[in-house]
Amino acid sequence: MGRVITIILLGVILGQGSPLDQACLSCHRSYQVPSELIYRRYLLQYSTPQAIEQMMIAYLQHPHQSTSIMPPQFFLKFPMKEATALDTLTLQHMVRAYIEKFDIKKRLILKQ
Amino acid sequence: MLHSEKRSLVRFLIIYLLSTFLLFSLASWIFYTSTRDHLIQTQRERLTYEAQKLHSALRLLHQSNAPLLSYPSTPPIDSAIFDSDQHYIFGTKREPMALGVVAEGVLHYEQRVEPYYLGAAHLMVTQPLDQRPIERLQHHILLFMLGAGVFFLLLGYFLGRLFVAPMRDSLQRLNRFIQDTTHELNTPISTILTNIEMIETFGGTLSHESELQRIAIASKTLSRIYDDLTYLNLNHHYHREVVMLDLSRLVAERMVYFKAMADAKGIVVTIACVEAVMQKMDRNDAIRLIDNLLSNAIKYNRPHGRLIISLDTKRLSIQDTGIGIAPKALGEIAQRFRRANSSEGGFGIGLHIVTQVCQSYQLTLSINSVEHQGTEVIIVWEE
Repeated sequence: MGRVITIILLGVILGQGSPLDQACLSCHRSYQVPSELIYRRYLLQYSTPQAIEQMMIAYLQHPHQSTSIMPPQFFLKFPMKEATALDTLTLQHMVRAYIEKFDIKKRLILKQ
Repeated sequence: MLHSEKRSLVRFLIIYLLSTFLLFSLASWIFYTSTRDHLIQTQRERLTYEAQKLHSALRLLHQSNAPLLSYPSTPPIDSAIFDSDQHYIFGTKREPMALGVVAEGVLHYEQRVEPYYLGAAHLMVTQPLDQRPIERLQHHILLFMLGAGVFFLLLGYFLGRLFVAPMRDSLQRLNRFIQDTTHELNTPISTILTNIEMIETFGGTLSHESELQRIAIASKTLSRIYDDLTYLNLNHHYHREVVMLDLSRLVAERMVYFKAMADAKGIVVTIACVEAVMQKMDRNDAIRLIDNLLSNAIKYNRPHGRLIISLDTKRLSIQDTGIGIAPKALGEIAQRFRRANSSEGGFGIGLHIVTQVCQSYQLTLSINSVEHQGTEVIIVWEE
């Protein structure tokens, strides 16, 4: 019986995904917004995680082409998202998790 | 080698080698520093090239969608990338590197990255300084300094000997002159003292004609030595009274002066002088000229030899049947303190005085000599 309950709980957790998945990436996936491409664009322009975090939060709280990292053409294909309903602290956690997920350092290896 | 000569040579060598060493050290140092800088610059240029390559690689990696991004590595060159806050992102070393901080003996090159590929705002490449070409350079310079040192030591020794040679010659001649002077003065003084002693010993019992003659010869010799040395010393300073001089009469007078010396050696004197040969000269100059020629002709004549004096309106010739002069010594015979033969006493100043007088009056002096047969000295003047 206990084994059955554990399997059910795991299924629920895995099915729901992480908070980042629920709050952000699930929509990205459904709208086919390239999450890693966005991260790379931020990286290319702002370099440090702190600067990226600040700029992402600014955009998510007040979405506008002027605060977006994406080019104007991007918004011809994708609609401008609405301002986030998350509180600042949660949003900060989500953004950090986003940066952590796509962190470039994790993917770099030394070529022998 | 004389002590003073050796000392001079050593001093010269020390100064010469020291100055040469300093000069070469300075030149070598300048060459070394410029070449070393050039070698280091060459290695720096390689770092610059590697930085450009890394920059291109970062751009490609940033655009890559591969799950793993291979960071380029080209040992022994190390590299690292840093974000805009200069925090370490990634590098080829195990431990994180700090921007601009490298160990001693490591070359580094920093470059800004824009845009920030992979988030990198700075990249740094480092390479341990390759000391081998610098050590080779040091080795070559050391070899060059050693070679130059040996070469300049030998050259300096050769030059030193060359420069010291005239001084050695002068010193030797001066030493000989001092020895000759003491000997020349000692002989007539001894003669005078011995003969005076003999006169005192035998009192008035004997005739002292021969002793007095010896004393006279010795006194004249002393007088002549004094005159010659004074003449040499005051040659340029004493006042000359150039007058028309009767050379025929003067030669006869001087021959009387030297008669005792010639008689003592058993020399047969032949005088063939034209009467009243007049020449414009200072009397003392003429006496020094004739006395030295007659003195040499008697001194270097063989015992019972011949002395022929001839004088006419154009020339004076004094010929002896003495030891003669070797052909190779003829060219130098008129130099001061030069003696063709040391078998007889003398300073080697006689012919030097004769030459000076001849030059003063534009007289032509020629010496014809055959070794072991005799010498003829001819003085020619314009009528």
